[in-house]
Amino acid sequence: MDIAVLVKQTVDMDQIKLNDNNEPILDDLPLKMDILSKNAVEAAVQLKEKYTGKVTAFIFGTERSTSTMKEAYAMGVDDGTVIKGYQKSDPTVTASVLAEELKKSKFDIIILGDQSSDSYSGLLAGILSSELGLDVVTNAINIEIKDKIANVTVESENEDITVETKLPAIVSVAQEINEARLPKVMQIMAAGKKPINIVEGKPDYRDDSRILSDKAPESQRKKIIYEDGKGIDEVAKILKVVK
Amino acid sequence: MKALVFSDEPKNAREIITYLRGKMDIDVISTEDKELPEYGAQKVYFYKDGFVDNLSKFLADHITKNKYDFVFISSTNTGRELAGILSYKLKMKCMPEIFSFEHGGKTVTKRFFHGGKTVVEEESDFQMFTVSASICEAEKTDKRSEIENINLDKSNYKIINVKGKNTAGTDIRNAKVIVSIGRGLGSEENIKKIQPLVDELHAEIAGSRPVCLDYKWLSEDKQVGLSGKKVRPDFYIALGISGQIQHIAGIRGSKTIIAINKDKSAPIFEECDYGIVGDLFTVVPELVKKLK
Ligand SMILES: Cc1cc2nc3c(=O)[nH]c(=O)nc-3n(C[C@H](O)[C@H](O)[C@H](O)COP(=O)(O)OP(=O)(O)OC[C@H]3O[C@@H](n4cnc5c(N)ncnc54)[C@H](O)[C@@H]3O)c2cc1C
Repeated sequence: MDIAVLVKQTVDMDQIKLNDNNEPILDDLPLKMDILSKNAVEAAVQLKEKYTGKVTAFIFGTERSTSTMKEAYAMGVDDGTVIKGYQKSDPTVTASVLAEELKKSKFDIIILGDQSSDSYSGLLAGILSSELGLDVVTNAINIEIKDKIANVTVESENEDITVETKLPAIVSVAQEINEARLPKVMQIMAAGKKPINIVEGKPDYRDDSRILSDKAPESQRKKIIYEDGKGIDEVAKILKVVK
Repeated sequence: MKALVFSDEPKNAREIITYLRGKMDIDVISTEDKELPEYGAQKVYFYKDGFVDNLSKFLADHITKNKYDFVFISSTNTGRELAGILSYKLKMKCMPEIFSFEHGGKTVTKRFFHGGKTVVEEESDFQMFTVSASICEAEKTDKRSEIENINLDKSNYKIINVKGKNTAGTDIRNAKVIVSIGRGLGSEENIKKIQPLVDELHAEIAGSRPVCLDYKWLSEDKQVGLSGKKVRPDFYIALGISGQIQHIAGIRGSKTIIAINKDKSAPIFEECDYGIVGDLFTVVPELVKKLK
């Protein structure tokens, strides 16, 4: 089975500091594989282990994305392409760049994370499915494959629904699908030596939106904090209105 | 101006209509719901058995035919899939996850970014948006909408199994008072130690992600946060919850937030109205005594 997995590299958002103006300082932040991309890679590698085949990873990123590709290799990805040219979160552009590359080979299933942890847009799977003319199932917590058919279990509000879809298809995964493996030292070392295919992407970013401000939200809360055993009377009084 | 609102969840549709009402005329497409025609939309369309393929086909035709100025799609699984497909098909770029929309010449929207660390305010000519859940509290109007049932084509997708989850009945999104527990509670058995507070306040119990998803002390539908429910109670009482950004994302609509945590530097104290620094196992019983 030929499996493609789409991997996103993000800045480590836990390490974002704010300047005096409450704006994020984004220079020199460490990069890492986005959290749901890890689950996507794990899901892809598990499918390979179960049904045999090959996993190819794609990152739309920059020249700095090779470290994330190596991480994917260490987790069991066989082959990887880094497409350079990423500038900003714009699902339309990301989808068209990735589609361009994905069209060059044949895949039975294309796996990605359902929402990335910077914007939580969750639009990529849908746009890609239109670009490539494939079926799409999102937020998967289980994938079973039999004879070019995938049974994908999707997590929704009050039930888990299993849908049958023909392959090739695009499946985005939820965090609950698996626990991403921690590669062993040997695998990490082997991954470091593996070649990475690097290509130049042709992103068509447009000036169609303009950022007016990007600031940490100011909390409108009262923030009255009691310490040393105090505050119980006050809080009880506030809650009395409920009764 | 005329807008189309789509949500597979009528509750979200009601909120989005309430939010946009007065700014423009609204048609809405959703699943069968008795109350939806009471929120001021001009036309309410109901569909059954919708999947991405038959829904996207219908919506693309419908949007083209009716020449809507704006399309608002609620951010659910189905909603996001559809927004992606429609944005490609109709060549309308989509601004995702907005929680604020103003239009005067240009459109100005707000959404969270950097994992919820910041809010970006953007100006654009975009016509399609996905709308973050709980954008406002839904309110009815006197105006009744015209209702039309739509027939979708048959889908290529096939449902082969549906497994109901262990849900405990009440929807925490409708609760007026929520007592929410975090990892600080320590164990499932300890729920009975805070139960008197829940009872005293006639509250619903909810929890953080680890509590609902990893430890399963509560069922999954009780999870509050970014990947759980967004709640808007009058009082949200957080017990032993650190207040990570993904949790805060679910409680921003609360009128009053009260936090009890033994760690003075817990981020929840930056996002609460009243906070008590202390051990919840001593503070909660004292609070219950005072409330009696
Ligand atoms: C993609 C993604 C999505 C997520 N979505 C969600 C979501 O929807 N909802 C959500 O909640 N989380 C979500 N998370 C997880 C989130 O980042 C935090 O890990 C989680 O909210 C922490 O839960 P907690 O506050 O219960 O636990 P902890 O962070 O471990 O906090 C426990 C707190 O209890 C306090 N405590 C301990 N003992 C006591 C005591 N005796 N008395 C008083 N206080 C005590 C501690 O001081 C501490 O502050 C998500 C994470 C990711 C990556």
